Amino acid sequence: MILASARAETITKAQAVQGRSLWEDAWRRLMRNKAAVTGMVTLAVLVLAAIVGPWLSPFTYDQVNKSDVWLPPLANGHLMGSDALGRDLLTRLLIGLRVSLAIGFVATFVSLVIGVAWGAVAGYVGGKLDEVMMRFVDVLYSLPFIFFVILLMVTFGSNIILIFVAIGAVEWLTMSRIVRGQTLTLKHKEFVEAARASGLNRGAIIARHIVPNLLGPVVVYVTLTIPAVILAESFLSFLGLGVQPPMASLGALIAGGASDMELAPWLLIFPSIVMVTTLMSFNFIGDGLRDAIDPKDR
Amino acid sequence: MLQYIGRRLLVAIPTLFLVITAAFFMMRAAPGSPFDMDRKLSPEIEANVLAQFGMNKPLGEQYVDYLAGVVRGDLGPSLKYRDKTVLDIVKENYPVSLRLGFFAIAIASVVGVSLGVMAALRQNKLTDNVVMTVAILGVCIPTFVTAPLLVLGIASKLGWLPTAGWNDGALANMVLPIVVLSLPQIAIISRLTRAGMIEVLHSNYVRTARAKGLPEAVIVWKHALRAAILPLVSYLGPACAGLITGSLVVEKIFNLPGLGKFFVISALQRDYTVVMGMVIFYAGLILVLNLVADLLYAVLDPRVRLA
Amino acid sequence: MRSIFAFMYRFFCRQPGQTILALAATLLLTQGCAPSKPQANDCPAGKVCIRAGNGVEVLSLDPQKVSGVGDHRVLLDSMVGLTMASARDEVVPGAAERWETSADGLTWTFYLRPALWSDGVPVTADDFVFSLRRILKPETAAEYASLLYPLLGAQAVNEGKAAPETLGVRAVSPRVLEIRLEHPAPYLLQLAKHQTMYPVPKHVVEKYGNAWSKPEHYVSNGPYTIVSWKLGDRIKAVKNPRYWDADKVCVDQISYYPTTDNITAERQVRRGELDMNADIQSNRIALLRDKMPGYVRTHTYLGVSYLTYNNNVVALRDVRVRRALSMAIDREFVTNKLMRGGQQPAFSFVPPGVANYEPAKLPEWASWSFAKRQAEARRLLAEAGYGPGRPLKIEIKHRNSADPSLIMPAIQADWKEIGVEARLAQNEPQIAYAAYRSRDFEVADAAWVADYNDPMSFLYLMNSTTGAQNYGDYNSPAFDALLKKADNEPDAKVRARYLAEAEQVMMNDAIVAPVFFYVNKNLVSPRVTGWVANLGDIHPTQYLCLKGADKAPGV
Repeated sequence: MILASARAETITKAQAVQGRSLWEDAWRRLMRNKAAVTGMVTLAVLVLAAIVGPWLSPFTYDQVNKSDVWLPPLANGHLMGSDALGRDLLTRLLIGLRVSLAIGFVATFVSLVIGVAWGAVAGYVGGKLDEVMMRFVDVLYSLPFIFFVILLMVTFGSNIILIFVAIGAVEWLTMSRIVRGQTLTLKHKEFVEAARASGLNRGAIIARHIVPNLLGPVVVYVTLTIPAVILAESFLSFLGLGVQPPMASLGALIAGGASDMELAPWLLIFPSIVMVTTLMSFNFIGDGLRDAIDPKDR
Repeated sequence: MLQYIGRRLLVAIPTLFLVITAAFFMMRAAPGSPFDMDRKLSPEIEANVLAQFGMNKPLGEQYVDYLAGVVRGDLGPSLKYRDKTVLDIVKENYPVSLRLGFFAIAIASVVGVSLGVMAALRQNKLTDNVVMTVAILGVCIPTFVTAPLLVLGIASKLGWLPTAGWNDGALANMVLPIVVLSLPQIAIISRLTRAGMIEVLHSNYVRTARAKGLPEAVIVWKHALRAAILPLVSYLGPACAGLITGSLVVEKIFNLPGLGKFFVISALQRDYTVVMGMVIFYAGLILVLNLVADLLYAVLDPRVRLA
Repeated sequence: MRSIFAFMYRFFCRQPGQTILALAATLLLTQGCAPSKPQANDCPAGKVCIRAGNGVEVLSLDPQKVSGVGDHRVLLDSMVGLTMASARDEVVPGAAERWETSADGLTWTFYLRPALWSDGVPVTADDFVFSLRRILKPETAAEYASLLYPLLGAQAVNEGKAAPETLGVRAVSPRVLEIRLEHPAPYLLQLAKHQTMYPVPKHVVEKYGNAWSKPEHYVSNGPYTIVSWKLGDRIKAVKNPRYWDADKVCVDQISYYPTTDNITAERQVRRGELDMNADIQSNRIALLRDKMPGYVRTHTYLGVSYLTYNNNVVALRDVRVRRALSMAIDREFVTNKLMRGGQQPAFSFVPPGVANYEPAKLPEWASWSFAKRQAEARRLLAEAGYGPGRPLKIEIKHRNSADPSLIMPAIQADWKEIGVEARLAQNEPQIAYAAYRSRDFEVADAAWVADYNDPMSFLYLMNSTTGAQNYGDYNSPAFDALLKKADNEPDAKVRARYLAEAEQVMMNDAIVAPVFFYVNKNLVSPRVTGWVANLGDIHPTQYLCLKGADKAPGV
């Protein structure tokens, strides 16, 4: 959440992409960026592990093993050790990663859908409607949102769906601003004028011509929003409002590990490493994409 | 200018109203009540408790009563801390949160801007890469990991600083919380500064200044930086939100008597009035800070005119 | 290339506002880097000061409006009831020097010692009459008033059916107080040291109303009086020179801190920022014994953690099912591997060591091996009609606090081994208890800590007339009858036997599954003297002192 405005600032600079060759250029530039490539490879490995890993494990994430309480890494078949209930840390970590990634992707998707629709309509229609819609965004911006997320969790009890919605509902604001800005510049481009001249209605123009051309900045924003969402969930988990045990998320595992760090350091170390690696991968990819799509800085 | 401020403050009123309404009904929709405990209350006592706090009336009426109270500047009594009113709690505890937040943002600005400028001046060189990697790390490591690690290392093992507590605002007690709060902000600010700086250094007026033969130091610190830190000013609002989020964690870990800690506890305990008080306080704070940021922006950037 | 600091310097000198920031920042950083000593925290020179972690934030300083142990710990130092606790938590004379009981055990006469409130006004029997009427008045809405129902007419007053003046308490003379009871209650002396029976200063309450308990108005009759309270920070109390036993009180000032995080508090104690803390995270006890020798103090406690079955759920009406579920819980795993703090496995409901009691006989299976218990549990379930083809499915609702969150998954696994599919549903404690009270659960995790040292403090929970707190709606005429007989029995020995029989009845019905008995866990610096671990976890500051203080400890 903290990242939102910083991201908005750098991303609005990314220009809309105008043709296929530009995408190819961008791809080539991206491939030359070592950090971004490393990020993509790491992320691919992590996603694969999160999807397949838990099936390969001989344990389940909630399986209590009474004889395996607090085993250090490598003992008794637990590659990363086990927790206070003898549950296998590696399995829980993979499940936690899966949950965190899912929250990251889904909540970002929610923000994407709302943000793009809101921003594109406001930008394209313009005038009074634009004024009202963006003023609404300004108003929401000035709310202490974390409080509302906490209140939502308290009111409806914490479940994963609600976490998706709550965090997604916070993140769409920045997205709508970016999209509106882009739409304003696109609106007067020749191909849009042409479509208008050929009698296409507004909805069709927004859907077919504006939205696809917003891809560049939106992709960058999305890659940078996912880690922010994962971080936000971990923060809720630390306050005891995130996913509920025995389900795990990276944040929940770290929060649990932090309280036992002298007794079983591995419970803090491994989840922290995975969390930081995941977030850094996204950030490297996002930075790389931005540089690739908007070559001005290079 | 004054007219602008006046208009902004007028807009703030419906915003606050919206916030109060949403928070009020959300809180009441939450299951449980502030008077649930492991011990049963006899129905007679419970009725008396409810009557004492005006909670025996229909919800709509309570809402109107509450709004009327807010207008009078009365946020009501705490439902859990029976000796305190919400205003007492806000008054006693906000200076702690505010002091931490102020120092954190001040330090983050100084350190973040310096790092950002350093990185921009040596773009794509070792310094740049190191600073930017550290900046990404700073954003990626959650405060609730850095805080216990710092406490364990610096306070417990080395014994340089107290581990927790407020101690009537002793400087030593504030250092670790402020460091933890400012780390992610340093990371973000240094990235913003670097991006802004790089853009400005390539701009025409910097080229002009160079052509005029001004010393590089003057160009960098006087001309370029002034333009480059503009995005920072508009970051003030979100930074404040980030600090509030951080303070919820930091006040819990360092056991500080700030407002953030009470928000979470009170929400969980269904202390309706305290939760509402905190929401109003922070919403007001953010509104004011956003206004300050916009004014500051106008002062720093002559191109912006307030209308 | 000039150093970046030179640039910074010039930049900041042109921006006066920011110069101040920079200076403040530098100051902060340089100050911070010097090794700091744990601070004495405004302890006046030559005085003895103690800083105590109280675990939770106190909700009020009015003894009639609070119910938590944390509240009690603070009030205990300020107020003294008719009786009070010794350093070992035995009953000793407090505001009353001595007392007499009538032969039928129904009328008690307390003779007050000459004593003053901290503002110099004498403490009289009238203060006690005023206080007892006040706590029972419905308008006070005291959450704990029901504890005083053994007093004659108390329940009627509390429910607004009778005037407060009808309460069976009267001031015979300024220093003689008479209390009449509904039924003999040997635990009255225990109750008399509980916060519900503390006197409140009539003259101050009449002057300030509910605001009397604000620190600026606070008046106490105990060894300390409260001078300030900053929420979330600390409560400060100083020695009351007018306390009758003030000469023996060593500690001059005590600060109570709301240490909500046990691990933070533990580090503070270790570094000497606090002298003691009222709790320890259970599974760290072994580690702390090793790292901080002499600090960890544990003692059995009057508390039990148990699962309660909802009798409104058809499957749980079958005693075989209830017994099987109870048998299949691996209590030794819970105490030895999860809690690790010296907690004892519980096979009965009333903890060992309770006063006025002859412990009830444990169920036969308590001494069996776990494997044998599991086999028997499987057999009982099969007998009740459950098996692999038709597994028993049940939901355990539990509080999401640290201990239950650790224990419930283990119990879930235990039950899985006998073929029971248990689901876990967790809620914040407050919400969980609300659900229990409205019977919205199948199996619930609950815990009970005694209010006063007597088996009745546990057993009354299962009385069919208890209502909401009898979560499982246990209704056994035999059990109720035994409790009633015990209430009306003046002979303590006979009463104890009735109560044990009652416990036997409820254990035979397997109406709850006790899991473990609590221990109290304190972290106390070895420099604190006079601190004695005890069953009630009651540690009045007046008996404490610090090593090296040139005063003798109070006891």
